Amino acid sequence: MFKILQKELKALFKDRRAMMLGLLMPIILISIFSLAFGGMNKESNRKTRLLVCDEDKTIFSQKLVADIDSVKNFETATTTTDSAIDLIKNGKYPAAFIIHKGFTDSANAVKPLPWELKYDVAQSVEMQMMQQYLFQSLYASIGKRMNERMMLRNMQQQFAGMDSLSMMMAIGQMKKNVDAGAKNMQELRENIMRIKSEPIEKAPDNAGIVQAVAGTAVMMLLFSLTAMGGRLLEEKENGTLKRLLYSPLTASDILGGKMLASILFAMIQLIIMFSFSSMVFGLVLVPKIAAVLLLIVVTAFACSGFGMFLASVVKSRDQLQSLSTLAILSMSVIGGSMVPSFLMPSWMQTVGHASINYWSIQGFYDIFWRQLPITDFVFLKKVLVLFLFGSVLSTMAFRLFRKNVTSMA
Amino acid sequence: MIEVKDITKSYGKTQAVKGISFSIKDGECFGLLGPNGAGKSSTINMLSMLFPPDTGSITINGTNASNANAQVKQIMGIVPQEIALYEKFTAWENILFWGSIYGVSGKQLTNKAEELLKWVGLFDRRKDLVKDYSGGMKRRINIACALLHSPKVLLLDEPTVGVDPQSRNLIFELIQQLNKDGMTIIYTTHYMEEAEKLCDKIGIMDNGKIIAQGTLDELKTLSAVSDMIVVDCTQTPDEKFLSDKLKTNVAVNENTVTILSNDSKKDLTNIVTTCTDAGYGITRIDIQKANLETVFLKMTGKQLRD
Repeated sequence: MFKILQKELKALFKDRRAMMLGLLMPIILISIFSLAFGGMNKESNRKTRLLVCDEDKTIFSQKLVADIDSVKNFETATTTTDSAIDLIKNGKYPAAFIIHKGFTDSANAVKPLPWELKYDVAQSVEMQMMQQYLFQSLYASIGKRMNERMMLRNMQQQFAGMDSLSMMMAIGQMKKNVDAGAKNMQELRENIMRIKSEPIEKAPDNAGIVQAVAGTAVMMLLFSLTAMGGRLLEEKENGTLKRLLYSPLTASDILGGKMLASILFAMIQLIIMFSFSSMVFGLVLVPKIAAVLLLIVVTAFACSGFGMFLASVVKSRDQLQSLSTLAILSMSVIGGSMVPSFLMPSWMQTVGHASINYWSIQGFYDIFWRQLPITDFVFLKKVLVLFLFGSVLSTMAFRLFRKNVTSMA
Repeated sequence: MIEVKDITKSYGKTQAVKGISFSIKDGECFGLLGPNGAGKSSTINMLSMLFPPDTGSITINGTNASNANAQVKQIMGIVPQEIALYEKFTAWENILFWGSIYGVSGKQLTNKAEELLKWVGLFDRRKDLVKDYSGGMKRRINIACALLHSPKVLLLDEPTVGVDPQSRNLIFELIQQLNKDGMTIIYTTHYMEEAEKLCDKIGIMDNGKIIAQGTLDELKTLSAVSDMIVVDCTQTPDEKFLSDKLKTNVAVNENTVTILSNDSKKDLTNIVTTCTDAGYGITRIDIQKANLETVFLKMTGKQLRD
């Protein structure tokens, strides 16, 4: 038994890179998961980016804008309503709070306030939390003034044209009005200060399915394509790579053929996943089929490039297994495959841009949540980024493979 | 047909091939004989254009190999030392694939595949997965896969490693038949019997150099010895002690002593006396006529399988 132990340890230490990856991987993954999810419950870590549009432009509305800006949960920017809608559509901001013209007049007349919250349908979950913060800050800013005005309105309605005796009685009534304050509060919430809140596009009925399908599909695709990249190492180990290189095929022919097989496999895998989701979970594909197919092609290209790149970098299948698990889980966490990226700290959301998962999932959000047409630049930008991912990774894979092919064989 | 001039190859600081030259005529069977690590596989890899030599040149069929890589590869068939087959494919699938990458297709490919499978005696098992084949069967398919495009030159890199004697004889017959049909063969091995049996010309490699080359008779003459005396002892003799006493090249491999001799009758008495006096019990004595082993021993002072 001791001899076997010795042999196993020797074999382990032979491939030092694989051993290091195996040891470091859990530590790195724990760090990434902690950074991504650990910040979720710390409100201070999560600042919601909010556009504020002041169409009223009065002293009262400007004070409200300043008060919103001072709230620690918000990172605000002011702009016009039209540009706010564009910025949300482009995915630059999740929401805009719009103070319409006539806001001060309505406040003075104690009428429902003309303000509303417009938001990205892809951020619906976050908006539920955001509305709580927003109402708290709005109430802190103008709630007292609105309450006073409502009390005055009530007094004027109750004591109009009365004599002094009646006025004495009014004082007593004032006390009752204190009790009515609570009722006023309810009216403020439900009527006067109610924020009209809606996404800029109509949310689909099966919004949750999109996150589940897109997130899982990309992550699983990365795993299966890395396994396909591993075939290259398998060919090295069983001698068939050397035999292929003896033939008139070039190194580029060999890697190119493998890459095309990966892309084709990836496309089939994604088509099956989305077709299954359509049949079982009712994901509506038909009107968006062209955009879905375009995104499937570039996602397959990017993921195949990733698989081939990893296979060209490592020297053994043990190394590939460790490195790919680390890279794929990391990308899946920061890119939003495991949980939606808007639930992570904002800096982590920015880091997520470095993952294939992020761009692919956002592309699927564009199609299914934001209902963008295939010609919309916002959607095409994601297609372009995924294409660039695929191009850069496969170019690097080809270069490394051509450079190392003889030693690999 | 093939002209190799002063080629070298280094891996880092290690020079595996140290300026070797040889030529092979059309239809000839050329053997590269040498122990493991002699530089045979590096030479084969350069001949098959897996990588170019660091210096020197290789001309195949009148074309400089480094200038017309794909063109030259098309006329060469290579049987690698490893069984380079897809084990999860059937023999039929393997053979079609390896033929197709040389541009053979359609009816021509299936006809040739059928012909080769019958030739190697595996047509009836063509639908079986390669992983279910015996070592000898895999070796035969390994050879067949190199012949789909009817190459003019066939390079075989130790094609009988790990094969049972029956399969080995079958492989010899296949190679002899190919050579008889006019195919130029380059055959590497560290078994002198294989080189003696198959090759018209032999190059003996050791430590990256060709130390002797020619026909079998030329090489035997070169060794200038007629016999080789092989003595098995009860324990491992001291090589230096025996060399000093007998005043000739002595090779010791475990308990076996090998000594070159021009007069075996006279030398045998001397050897037996020396061994017995030194306390080495003798269990077997064999006198062999000069062969490639004799040549190698004469040239290098060591046995092929050292």
